[in-house]
Order: sequence, then structure tokens, then C-alpha cells
Amino acid sequence: MKRFTLFAALVFLSGAAGAAEKAAAPSPFQRSAALFQSKCAKCHTVGRGDRVGPDLKGVTERRTREWLSGFIRKPADYLDKDPEAKKLLEKFNGVRMDVPGLSSADADGLIDYLETASAGGAAGGTEESALAEDAPEERITLPEEGRRLWVPGLAGAFLLAAGAALAWRTAGGGPAAVLAVAALGSLYWSAGGRARHHLLGDQQGYEPAQPVAFSHKTHAGTLGVACLYCHHGAEKSDVAGVPSTNICMNCHGAVRKAAGQAGPSPEIAKVVAAWERRADPKGPRLEWVRIHSLPGFVHFSHRVHVNNEVRCQECHGPVQTMERMRQASSLSMGWCVNCHRLAPGAAPTHWKRAGGPLDCAACHW
Amino acid sequence: MNEKNIDALEAERDDLHLSLRRREFIGALGGAFAALSSGCGLRPPKEKIVPAADLPEGAVPGRADWYATTCQACPAACGALAKVRDGRPIKLEGNPDHPLSRGGLCARGQASVLDLYDSERFRSPLAGGKPVSWAEADAAVLAALKQAGASGRAVRVLTGTPAGLSAAAALEAFLARWGAKAAVYDPVGHEAILEAHRLTHGRRALPRYHFAQAKVLVGFDADFLGAWLSPVEFTKDWSRNRAPSEEFDLMSWHAQFEARMSPTGANADLRVPLAPEHERPAAALLGRLVADRTGWSGPRPPRASVPERAERALRDAADLLAAAKGRALVVSGSSDVDTQVLVNWTNHMLGAYGATLELSRPALIAQGSRAALSALTAELAAGKVGVLVVHGVNPAYDGPDASAFRAAAAKAGLVVSLAPRRDETAALAGIVAPGHHALESWDDARPGAGVHSLVQPAMAPLFDTRSAAESLLAWAGKPSSAHEHLRGVWRRQVFSRTKAKDFEEFWTESLARGAVTVEAPGLGEGRFDAAAPARVKTPGLSASGFAPVFFHSVAMFDGRQANNPLLQELPDPVTKATWGNCASFAPEDAARLGLVEGRLVRLSAGGASAVLPAHVQPGQAPGTVAAALGYGRTEAGAVAANFPTVKMLPIEKEEGGGADLYALSSAASIAVEVLGGMSALAKSQTQDSLTEPFTGRTRDVLRETSYQEFLMDPRSGNPEAEKGHSLWPGHEYKGHKWAMAVDLSLCTGCSACVVSCYAENNVPIVGKAEVRKSRDMAWLRVDRYYSGDPESPETAFQPMLCQHCDNAPCETVCPVLATVHSSEGLNMQVYNRCVGTRYCANNCPYKVRRFNWFDYAHEDGLKNLQLNPDVVVRTRGVMEKCSFCVQRIYTAKAEAKTAGRTLKGSEVVPACAQSCPAGAIVFGDLNEAGSPAARAAEDPRIYSVLAEIGVGPAVRYRTKVRNKKV
Repeated sequence: MKRFTLFAALVFLSGAAGAAEKAAAPSPFQRSAALFQSKCAKCHTVGRGDRVGPDLKGVTERRTREWLSGFIRKPADYLDKDPEAKKLLEKFNGVRMDVPGLSSADADGLIDYLETASAGGAAGGTEESALAEDAPEERITLPEEGRRLWVPGLAGAFLLAAGAALAWRTAGGGPAAVLAVAALGSLYWSAGGRARHHLLGDQQGYEPAQPVAFSHKTHAGTLGVACLYCHHGAEKSDVAGVPSTNICMNCHGAVRKAAGQAGPSPEIAKVVAAWERRADPKGPRLEWVRIHSLPGFVHFSHRVHVNNEVRCQECHGPVQTMERMRQASSLSMGWCVNCHRLAPGAAPTHWKRAGGPLDCAACHW
Repeated sequence: MNEKNIDALEAERDDLHLSLRRREFIGALGGAFAALSSGCGLRPPKEKIVPAADLPEGAVPGRADWYATTCQACPAACGALAKVRDGRPIKLEGNPDHPLSRGGLCARGQASVLDLYDSERFRSPLAGGKPVSWAEADAAVLAALKQAGASGRAVRVLTGTPAGLSAAAALEAFLARWGAKAAVYDPVGHEAILEAHRLTHGRRALPRYHFAQAKVLVGFDADFLGAWLSPVEFTKDWSRNRAPSEEFDLMSWHAQFEARMSPTGANADLRVPLAPEHERPAAALLGRLVADRTGWSGPRPPRASVPERAERALRDAADLLAAAKGRALVVSGSSDVDTQVLVNWTNHMLGAYGATLELSRPALIAQGSRAALSALTAELAAGKVGVLVVHGVNPAYDGPDASAFRAAAAKAGLVVSLAPRRDETAALAGIVAPGHHALESWDDARPGAGVHSLVQPAMAPLFDTRSAAESLLAWAGKPSSAHEHLRGVWRRQVFSRTKAKDFEEFWTESLARGAVTVEAPGLGEGRFDAAAPARVKTPGLSASGFAPVFFHSVAMFDGRQANNPLLQELPDPVTKATWGNCASFAPEDAARLGLVEGRLVRLSAGGASAVLPAHVQPGQAPGTVAAALGYGRTEAGAVAANFPTVKMLPIEKEEGGGADLYALSSAASIAVEVLGGMSALAKSQTQDSLTEPFTGRTRDVLRETSYQEFLMDPRSGNPEAEKGHSLWPGHEYKGHKWAMAVDLSLCTGCSACVVSCYAENNVPIVGKAEVRKSRDMAWLRVDRYYSGDPESPETAFQPMLCQHCDNAPCETVCPVLATVHSSEGLNMQVYNRCVGTRYCANNCPYKVRRFNWFDYAHEDGLKNLQLNPDVVVRTRGVMEKCSFCVQRIYTAKAEAKTAGRTLKGSEVVPACAQSCPAGAIVFGDLNEAGSPAARAAEDPRIYSVLAEIGVGPAVRYRTKVRNKKV
């Protein structure tokens, strides 16, 4: 019996080792893209025409880097003095750009982003391509130390195979078969299988159908509604919350038609019905399917992260490109800890504080 | 069977097992790989999110809001703060802004939030036991009222003392409309004090006691730190003089003469067992002795003899009282008017009136009388009552003669009950017009003259109930919402007496603070009638048998919260028994009767009797039998009847939750019959002494000294412990280092912290059978130790919780690293790592770890609404323990981070420290110089329990100091 326990433990261990932390911290480009979404996208597009402010496609060709960097950081200086800026101000009905409060590094990153996004191609596709998730196969990237695990994995496989050969001679077919299977498993795992499979309870990529075909792409992307407008709890409370229907009705009290459609939208009608019959216990209710669900015994505080200037997209992915909401990250502990471990130099510069507590009790109450 | 045989057999069994399992194992392995390769993950079941349709502005899901209100668990009306998460109150805490309670809330107050989610609450009005609409109920009541008027039968309201102006005004309106009369009766009455003041000061009034002013204090059977009058306020005041100061001789001296061991007696510097029949003679003797020392020239009561020991103590007490004239106080909880007259006399001679107690602005609770109830019972029995409205009292259970009341009530035309939940009196009612729980209603309280405390709803009513004031107003023909009614009353009677200019402003501010104090017209202390003491009669000798000492306990009070499992499982501070009462006997009586703990005894007097398990109580006066009231309720629900929470086997049976003693409580003497059976007490502590029973070795887990020695040497009783050797290099705490200091001089054992901890941390309640197996789950327990002579022991209390050791023995033995050390000194318990080996509990020197033997009952969905969403509910097979309220630490951190400032250690207040009326618990950051926690660490009284084993606890204690003036 003891032998079996040992085998089982070996199989388990080789699997556990392979399932080391997967997700890497976002690249500077992704961070800038997220920055654009949270700070600029309310008024600007890249290649989708003018909104409140000008379309920024090709802006890096029209202006110098210094001009752009200066304007992004101190718009007022330019709007009052610079002749080109004054002209733009006139063109856009005198709406002055807010001071986004960015460092020069952030501004540089943004300009890089604008350059790439402008070059990125067809209108309508730029933001998506900039922030789109990696293809599913590449989505899970192993960190350095994880990649190196193939050495012990292979060694383990070899040992197990040797053990199987030995067992075949001494203990008979059964134990040998078990060892052989374990050896094959270990080989598979070390050869990259570990990157391909989800751990138990890992919901990454979960994208269920919702009772209302609500599009984050339309609301957060095209229309540029700020995340915190609807999910206002995220900066005040531990939970971001699913918006209450009255928030939907702030706009949909008037808006009943989806863009590009002729008649009233049947999807909006569902929301309106839930609102109008809210006092009726038998009335229709909006029963959203929960996507992001932490395991038991774990606490997560949105307000701590949001107030640390961690962008929504850094965990939730490019929500503004998602027609249907999807869980972009694994929400596994390794994924959490990857950011909590970041030292001041390594952490994104827009965070107020780098890294987070690593005590168990920081999350496990 | 020899060893060889066993080996052979085991090998054979192993082989068999192997061959059976081999295929299955390989099959399962292959299946698992196949499942993995095909990429199908396992998903948890679909969860639905239904957002609020119309969330009010300012409401943020997931964030707690706090509302100031007034605790209504007893008439003391302490200020409370209700913590509301997502629309439901989950915790009550003391309101530091309240003029009486000033923070802190007792065990019953803490537990009362669970009463809100009691499944035995009425869900709609009832007529003849069947649910009806409010319109139907009102119509039936009005018809009965009209009919009573037409047929000349009386309309009566039986009520407790109206808690506040709103209730009084509603009652007034109802009485005026129907020409009715109110019978005011309080289940927990203090009539003797009221009556005695009528005799001595010409005014039937209950004084307000100012224990903070009393440097010398003598109590006769008044459990003012437990359940007497206003325990939170009194504990707060009493404790102010109990922390010993090195510089000034400020510590008060407190002597207690009592029959049973009460929490108050257990905390006294001098405690003398005194049978009830000696109480009046003792009060008379004390009066005469004080008269000698203060030069009293008026007439005196006759001499009476008291036991020698008591007489000696009384002489000492009289010396100290007289020396502290103007700063001395004598209190008595006796229901004997003569005793109270003697106490008033003594207080008068000591210049206590206007100093340590006050008649000028009296307490306004418990003004009722038993005579009112007996007059009403007589009226009812004569069939003269057409409609009886019962509000806030339950005489069919706790009345002096409950059976007579029940019989008489049957003769009323209609009994209407305003009770919010099932009780014995509501069971007699034709119409039940259920009231709200205090956390659902608008109301107010006036515990003392000039003190007005608001009750505001913390949630919308759960059921189809209506505030009692609204019901009375509706029947009076002046329908009004309780809110409007309350505002109207306050505008007229409170606002007009303040300097505030704008009512709306005043109202908002009062609501935010929870209470206001207004100038009350001083009535003066009254003139003492010098002839009164001499009119006191010498008591006759008591009859044979045992003198009954039936008391209101800390947990159960008068039994109104008997269906509250938190209180049923709360160990009595002194006996440490849970789930039921027991009959306590003095050690010498127990020896004489051959009683051991758990032996069933029958107590009988007149026609009534009750069967209870016996308990041997050190320090109890011989010749008395003591037991807690409030148990044995028949109509309160399943918990009060002690339904087992965890039932292992279908045949497992539980005896009822204690016995009802109200029928015996007016007897002069009780016959005790020892029965054959046994019923083991479910006690949370079985070792009563710090001396180990077999080795005779005493460990100084609880250190104490006398104030006199302390003044000479602040480290007295607290010798430097031999530093234990450590295998570990120790920890470096760069940020915070959380620590706690518990002052044993201040801890009264009141157990408010225990209930607070249960409510905050979702600690499971396990039931009587499991408590008997020592499987109670309290994260924080209060240990009680006796020392010295068992006939008159010294008692000390010690809250014991996870000590968060620096070198925690639990951490080193956990095979799965489920309990590890944090960078801030917390000993963390990671539930999802725990596999339940229980090694940690075995290796814990403090025995503070608790194991979930079961998934403790959560089938009562309504009760689950009280669970704190910030703390997980642990599952079966997982170890748990005090976390230093880590959720509060991290919430405070989140607040600080959100606001962009650094966290101060004093911002974090764990549930136990918040609830402590005595302020015995200090929590904070040791690394924050000058913080209360850091200062406590420098205290000469500070020590670690079991310091010699070198585990370095973060919880430390301050030596208990007793004032041994005599």
C-alpha cells in the first residue's frame, strides 16, 4: 500500500510543479493601452473619427513628441498659448481637455501606444488589436522559473521509467504499469502539457451567455463610459458590484434603440421591463450569470486595488473589446501573488504602491 | 496471537487490498489524464447575481454602514451602534457617544441582533392563531373595544414601564380614547428600592447610582456588574477606580455580602457569604456601626445578630465607609423594603445622596409594581375586563403567580398581545398584533431623567409586523406612523427643552449621536425621614429548608431571550454552565446531602416543584440554594427547549433547557430532595483551580497581588519570568506588530467579549451534547479560577484567546503549513490549507484552538442572515481560532490606503475590545511608540502566560490587583 501512496504522491507532485504560476505582469504596451482606455477613451478614438476631442490616429505624424508629451501633461499651457491648440479648441466647441495627471514616462508610453495603434491598421480594429488577449494557446505564459521546470520534470520521468523497468522485474506487472503511466504523465507535463490544462476550478476564459446581451464593447469601448460609472462600488467597497437597474435607466430612460438598428432594441426592452415592474415580486428580474468567482476562504478588496491605480483591465482584461463578458485572468493564487511580489522597480509606474502584502491573512480570513 | 502471525495477516491484507485497488487506481489515473487532455475543466455550479433594481443613492454594496440606536434587550437602554451590511444588521456594538453606557455592550445586548432573525417571530397578525390582515386584526380589536364599552366591561393595558416618551404618549392616547387604565408591572422589578425611598425620602423613585464617585463600596446581593439595573453603565463607572495607579492611592475598595456567588461578588475585594435571612440584620448592623462613626443622633433600628465573620467584615466596612464620607456607597439588590430602608439610612449618613447616588434626577426604568399585576389578575378573575392589551411583558411565564394569571386571562373578553415573538402570554391572546424588533422600529428610551435615547430602524421590517406604538395609536383613532409620532413627541418634549434652533437640524444630529441629554428639572435629593430606620422590624427566624436565591443571570436575565442560541451557549460567568440552569449549593451543604455535580435534585415549595442538576458552588452561603431564572420556557421555541444542534444519532435525546423557577421564587423556603438520576452539566470549564489536582503544583497563569504590596513594589506578584529557551531566531516586525494587553484588574468576567466574538466571527454554536464533550467553539473564553478557602474563595477571571505567539508551537507541527506566522505578528489560520490533523490543537499550550467536528447547523436560513459576510463560515474538519479580528485589521488598512494615509494601530479595534464595558482589553501596534498597546507593554504589571516555555505570546496580561485594605 505504501508504494502506491508514493506513486500517487509523485504523480501529484510532478503535476503541481508544472502548474506553477502562469500569467506574467502586463507588458508596458498593455499598460499604456489600459491607460488610454481609462484616461483618454472617453473623448478620443484612434481611427474611429472625432468625438468630444479629435481622432488621434496618426497624431504622432502631425505633431512632434515634445509637443504631444507637453500637451498630455499640461494641456492648459498649450490651450492658452499654442496657436494649433487654440485652433483645435475652437473646432471642438471650446471643450478643454482635463489634466490627466500623468508622469512623463506615462505620457511617453501613451505616445508609443498611439503610434503603434495608428499604424495598426483598419478603423475599428485598433483598440481591439492593441488589447486583445493572446490566442488561447499562448494565453498562459510560463515565468522563467516555470519554464526551467522541464529539467526536474524530465529527470522525474526518467527515474519513474527506470523504476517501472525495475518493478517489471521484481514486483510484477501492476506496479510497473503504474510507474510507466506516471512516467509518461511526467514526460507530458514537463514537455509543456502543464501550460495547456486548467487547474481544478480555474475559470479562465469562462464566457457564459447572459440574460441580456449586454455589450461591454459598446458601452465601455465605443461609447467610452467609464468603468466606475456603473461599477461605482469598486472604488468605495470591497465588491465592485453588478450595477443596479436604476443606473442602467440613467441613460436607457431615454435610449431605447441600439446603434445601427431600426426599431427599439429587444435587449434594452428587457432592462426597461425589469425596471418598470421592479415593485412587482413576480415581475421580470435580471439574473446575471456570475463569471468572476473567487474560491472559498478568499477575500479580495476592489477599493484597495482601484485606489492604488491598478487599472480594471489589468485583471479583467480588455473589457472594452468584449462583446460578451469573459473571465480574462485565471484568478488563481499564483496569478494574484505575481503582482503582489512586484518590487518598486518592477511594478507598473502608475501604481501608487508597488506590490502587495504576501501574508496569508491578507486574503485568507 | 503472536507477532509473526499479525505480520503475516497484515501482509496478506495489504496484498488483497492492493490487488483489489490496482485496477481501479490505474483506471482512475487514465481517466484523469484523458479528462485533462481533452481540456474539459470542472466548473463550479452556476451562480446568479440579481442586482438591486433601485439602489438608493449613497448605498454601496459590500460596505458596512453604522446606525446609532438604543439596545432594547433590557430596560437599561444602553447606546448601541448597529452595523448594517447590504441592508441587514449583523452586529451590535456599544455607542461611545451615549451618555450612560459610553461604549461597551453586554452579552445580552450583543446577542439581541440574533433575536431579529428568530424563526419564532410572528410573521403577520393572528386571530385565534390564524394569520389575518392588519385591517382584519384592527377591526376585531376595535369591535371588542366598542363592545367592552357597551357592556360596561373594563379595558386594561398590561405593560412594563414605558421605555420612552414615544411609548408613553401612544399608551396615553390609547388610554384616553377608551377610558382605560394601565397596569404597570416589570418582570425585573426594583420595587423595594422604590418603596424604601417613598418611606425615607417621601418619593417613590429609583436613584441613579454613580459608581465612579464611590471610593468605598459595599454591596448587599446587588449584582451590578452582572444583570442588576444598568450593568454596562455601572461596569464602566466601577472600572474607573479599579486600575491601580502607582502614584495616587485611587483604587476603590469594594466589599460584597451575598448568598450566591455573583459576578459582582467574584470581583469584590472582600466577599462575605451571607444567607438571605441575615441580610436585614447585616444592613441594620452596618447602619448602626456607621451611625456610631458619623454621630447619628436620631433613632436607630434594634440590634440584631449576624454571623461572626460577617460582623467582623461589617465593622471593617463601616470604618472605611465612614472615613470616605461623601465618596462612599452602599447598594442592595434585596427585594425586602426594610433592608432597603436601612441601606438608604446608611447612605444618608454617609452623605451619599447627591454624590454617589442621585434622587434629584432619578433613573426612570422599572417603575412598575407587582401589586398592579395582582390587582389586574383579580379584576380579570372576576370577569370585569373586556379587553386586555399586553405589551412588553410576559406574566404567564414570569409573573409571581403565572398559573393564576393564565386562568384569569381566560376570563377576559379579548386578550390582545403586542409581542413580536411567541411567548407564553401571546399564546393566551385572541388577537396577536405583532410588534417590530427594536432594529426595525422607530422608538425612544428614557432610562434616566434628562437622558433621551433614540431607537432607529436599521432595516425594513422582515415580516408583516407593526410597531407597538402604531398599533396603540391606530386603536386610539389617531393613526400615525411611528416615525412621525416619535418626531412629534420629540419636537414637543425634547426639542423644546434644548437650545437648538432648528428642529430638523436637531433631529438629524440626535439621530447621528443616538442620544441627547437635556436639562432635567432637579427634584432635589429630598429630606430624609429620620424616624424611618427605627420603624424597621427585626425579621423572624427562617423556616426549615433552604432559602431560595433565584437570580437573573448574565446570559438569561428574566428569560426574554431564551430562544437565543448565543445566550444559551454562553457559559455563566461563575458556574461556567451552558444550556440550562443548575441548583447551586454551598460545599458543606453538598457534603451533608451527598450531592455531587450533576446529581438531580427536586426543589419544591407549596405545590410547585422543579428538577435541576446540582452544582457545588464555592463561596455560596450555607443553607441556600441558588439557581438562575429564565429557563424552562414552554412557548419560546426550539432553542429555549434545548433542541440539540448536532444530532449524531436519532436516539440521542436531550433533556429540556433547564427548569422554570418562577413558581418557586416567592417561597420563603425550599425543600430539597435528592433524586437518583444524573444529568451532567454542560460546562465550558471543568478545572476550577490553578493548582493541578494530582501534582499539587500551581502555575501562575493568573498572577495577582494586593494593592498595598503593589504600592510598595509595582512588580509585586509579577516576578521576572525565567526566559524560556527558543530554538528559533525570532521574527523581525518591520511594519505593524499587533498585540493585546488584558487588564485582569478590570475584567469582571461579564462575557460581553465572548458573545461579541461569536457574532463577529461566525463562531458556530454546537449545543449541549457537544459542549459536554468540550467541543464548544468559543474563540475567546473567560476562564474563572478560585483560590483559597472553598467556603469563601477568591475569584479571578482571565479572558483566554489565541496568544498569537512569536514562536507558536502550533505553527511548527502543522504538516500542511495551514497555520503560519504573518509579517505583522499574527498567527494565521489558513482554512483552505487545513486538513484537520489537529496537531496544532494538541501542541497549543493555551488550548485555544477549536476544531469543526461537524458542519454545524446552518439550516435555519433566517438565522444565517446574521452571519458576517466579511468572515467565512468554516467547514467540517477545519481548525479555527481567534484571528485578532483580521478582517477588521484589513478593513482598517483598506480605509487608510483609500484615504492615502498610514494606518494607526489604535484604529483597529477587535470585537472583544469594542464590547468590553470595563475597557480591560487594549489592542494595537507595539511598533507605534506611545500607543496604548506600546505603553501597556511597559507596564510593570504586564506578564505573559506560561512565559517560561518561551513561545512569546502577543497577548499579555496585567496582574490582578486586589485592594486588601482589610
